[in-house]
Amino acid sequence: MIERPPAWGLRVAADLLPLQAIPHLDEITREWAWETSTGQGVKVAVIDSGIDAAHPAVGGRVGGYVAIGEGPDGLTYDTAPHADAFGHGTACAGIIRAVAPECELYSVKVLGPGLSGRGPVFLAGLRWAIEHGMHVCNLSLGTTRKDFFGMLHELADLAYFRNVILVAAANNMPIPSFPSLYASVVSVASHDVKDPYDPYLYYYNPRPPVEFVAPGIGVRVAWLHGQWITTTGNSCAAPHLAGIIARILGKHPGLAPFQVKTILRALAANVAAPRLDGTRGG
Amino acid sequence: MEHGAQAQDREALARAEATIAQQAEQIERLHRQLEDQHLAHDLREGLSLAATAARIAMPSTHVQLLEMVVRTAARVIAARAASLFLLEPGGQEMSVAVALGEKANEVRWLRMPVGHGIAGLVAATGQPMAVADARSDPRQASDIAQMIGYLPQSILCVPLFYEEQVIGVLELLDKEGAPAFSATDMEVLGLFANQAAVAIEQSRTHRSLAALIGEVLESLTRGPEARPRGLQERLGAYARQIEDDPAFRQSLELAQLVREVARQGERELKACQGILHSFADYLRSRPELLGGWGMTP
Repeated sequence: MIERPPAWGLRVAADLLPLQAIPHLDEITREWAWETSTGQGVKVAVIDSGIDAAHPAVGGRVGGYVAIGEGPDGLTYDTAPHADAFGHGTACAGIIRAVAPECELYSVKVLGPGLSGRGPVFLAGLRWAIEHGMHVCNLSLGTTRKDFFGMLHELADLAYFRNVILVAAANNMPIPSFPSLYASVVSVASHDVKDPYDPYLYYYNPRPPVEFVAPGIGVRVAWLHGQWITTTGNSCAAPHLAGIIARILGKHPGLAPFQVKTILRALAANVAAPRLDGTRGG
Repeated sequence: MEHGAQAQDREALARAEATIAQQAEQIERLHRQLEDQHLAHDLREGLSLAATAARIAMPSTHVQLLEMVVRTAARVIAARAASLFLLEPGGQEMSVAVALGEKANEVRWLRMPVGHGIAGLVAATGQPMAVADARSDPRQASDIAQMIGYLPQSILCVPLFYEEQVIGVLELLDKEGAPAFSATDMEVLGLFANQAAVAIEQSRTHRSLAALIGEVLESLTRGPEARPRGLQERLGAYARQIEDDPAFRQSLELAQLVREVARQGERELKACQGILHSFADYLRSRPELLGGWGMTP
């Protein structure tokens, strides 16, 4: 009865996709995952309040800028270098830079004075990042407005199929926040900074609302005017994982989001791979 | 006893006035939008009177609620000072609704753009934030610090959500007995803020004098169907406007004074009325002086 398979089925069947070699789950190690990688060649968008490139933590290197604004005729995209409105974006950029020193940071500024129009600006910033070749997007912010649930979900799916990893801070507040609640994103909450500070110490959490837990309590971060502050909040946790992912992608370009998650999970401090010699993976 | 009560009333009045003053800008805009100036003029006196009476009869429960929210938060989390910021309509500015602590009076009247300091950042991101070593960077840690010279060591700031929107920010300064606020403090304050936001929003709808005046008007007129099209909306806009009218605030102040006098007894009230009547008679007999009294046009 069926004369031909559905068009998209035919296309899939005709394609031959390269299979990237990934070790057995219990053999994934940090050495394999990111050692020798500095994040070079990986574009990381910090979708936030801007990045102060001059801050020593950022080191003067910001690959590109876009500031989304609301004009009388709709949204505006200003690609001139900009400053950080709060310090928040610089804090995130500093953490990412510390973990992945040679990644290419992009400042996508969606936060500034005033809250009106924030939702559309935020969505536009995320879309810009996905469509401009970013590999990782750090989202230390989100929206609680259900009006944006659908549109944001669409963007999260778009990112997924374009191999753009979205790293989203979970909201500490007992209120649903997007996109951190979507399954396709790497959602991050906070744990205490241990002494000594290990930016690579993170945990996996198999239950919602958050999948990973990274340093976010009492973290010393870059701020405005070359300053540093010690701060607590999931905003600081997300960039740790964004940095780690940048290093992974620097060494293994082209990994799909589910592969990145597989690696992250395997290397989480609380995930133990059973081994004959009794040691754990990671 | 009486003095205490009077002082409380005066304080409540001052706060009510502050609330009113905070909306001045919006009112200015509404004022321009109000097309029918004749209607505005005619309504002004009547509404002023009704609203004044209503305001005085109504205890400022909203302000008390806000204070209670902040006081409870500061006590539970053990903070030395605390402020509640509420977002102004339009989301561009925040104003201090309640301030507690040694510099509370300096802080109480502050307004600031949302894009400022830790409180502004929390409002913008909707993410709570704690800062442990705020004093090392007073420029950024707190605008309040900058303005009044109070340098907090630690800050804990959480957003207030109502119906998915940030309506304000609760900020605690200087943890007592510890160098900084903990993650547990943040969680507790977050839960508390959620409850507080609901209470604040519910109370706010009752506080709205505009709503009250609307009800008064409703009862005074024959019913909405008798009014020309659009009048209902204009009345609403006007009612909101009048809350911020300096003339209205003056009459509020005057009414408060009369109320104080009335508390002393019937004779005192009669005397007061007599004095006012006499003064008004005197002014009527000296029309050439009227201009000098700066009457509101």
